[in-house]
Amino acid sequence: MSDFFHMGGYAAYIWSVMGVALFFMLLEPFLLVLKRRSILQEIKRNKRLEERRARDKGKT
Amino acid sequence: MNFYSLAGKMIPFFWIAAVVFTAIGLYIGFFKTPDAIDNGMKQYYRIIFVHVAASWMAMWLYGVMVFWALIGVIFNTRISYMLASATSITGTLMTIIALISGAIWGKTSWGTWWDWDPKLTTFLILLFVYIGYIALQSAIEDTRRSDKASALLALVGLAIVPVIYYAVNCPDPNQCASLHQESSLKRIEPNILTAMLVTTLGFWMYSFATILMRTKNIILQRERKTNWVANLPEVIAGGKK
Repeated sequence: MSDFFHMGGYAAYIWSVMGVALFFMLLEPFLLVLKRRSILQEIKRNKRLEERRARDKGKT
Repeated sequence: MNFYSLAGKMIPFFWIAAVVFTAIGLYIGFFKTPDAIDNGMKQYYRIIFVHVAASWMAMWLYGVMVFWALIGVIFNTRISYMLASATSITGTLMTIIALISGAIWGKTSWGTWWDWDPKLTTFLILLFVYIGYIALQSAIEDTRRSDKASALLALVGLAIVPVIYYAVNCPDPNQCASLHQESSLKRIEPNILTAMLVTTLGFWMYSFATILMRTKNIILQRERKTNWVANLPEVIAGGKK
């Protein structure tokens, strides 16, 4: 098993490439989920504001 | 069913396929292949599975981006512009992975992180074209204009893709200096080839998943004032909080 991770002495190179790819390919979807949340929050906030405005209009 | 909800239903399947194919590809690549290959490369050649998959996707996604941009210009469909824009980011990411993995591979086999070799240089230009597209798109406020302008830039930049593809080792090293080896799919060991192709398929599925996720975000952003967005379940849910 440790032979496998050793990679004939090239472990640093091989595993850093795998690490870089994994890092970017986890970062991208993570940022996409964050972005989606912030967009949805903004839409909800605007919706609430508009509903309140419509209600206030109705009262006066 | 509109594109937004269709994409939402497809994304989980693309994620599953991405993980499965990448895992199978890397499994074959790490356990079913020899520790050294004919041309003297030792175990570090295994960088190939990530490097080739990312490089192919970087070039392929550029083509996909131009395709959608072109459809947008011809038919004036907003969704295709959004797809083009969504593709550009994942394409940039693949280009960055290809360049970094290439640099690390270069350090082991050539002894240098970087060289102004034709393939490396043209690939760096590809990165700049991607960045140019993204920058142009975000520089213009009006989405209609930014979509069109960046579509034209993407189309012009397409010229670099065949150049990268053909920028390979020159036959006589005395005539021209080039380090990057020729793509030699026919001479490659079958299991290495299989591992490369399956990993690439995994990266492709990953690209589908992230591009669709980003397209959904772009749709929400651009259509945020419409009724159908206001009535989406994810907007109604928890709306009172």
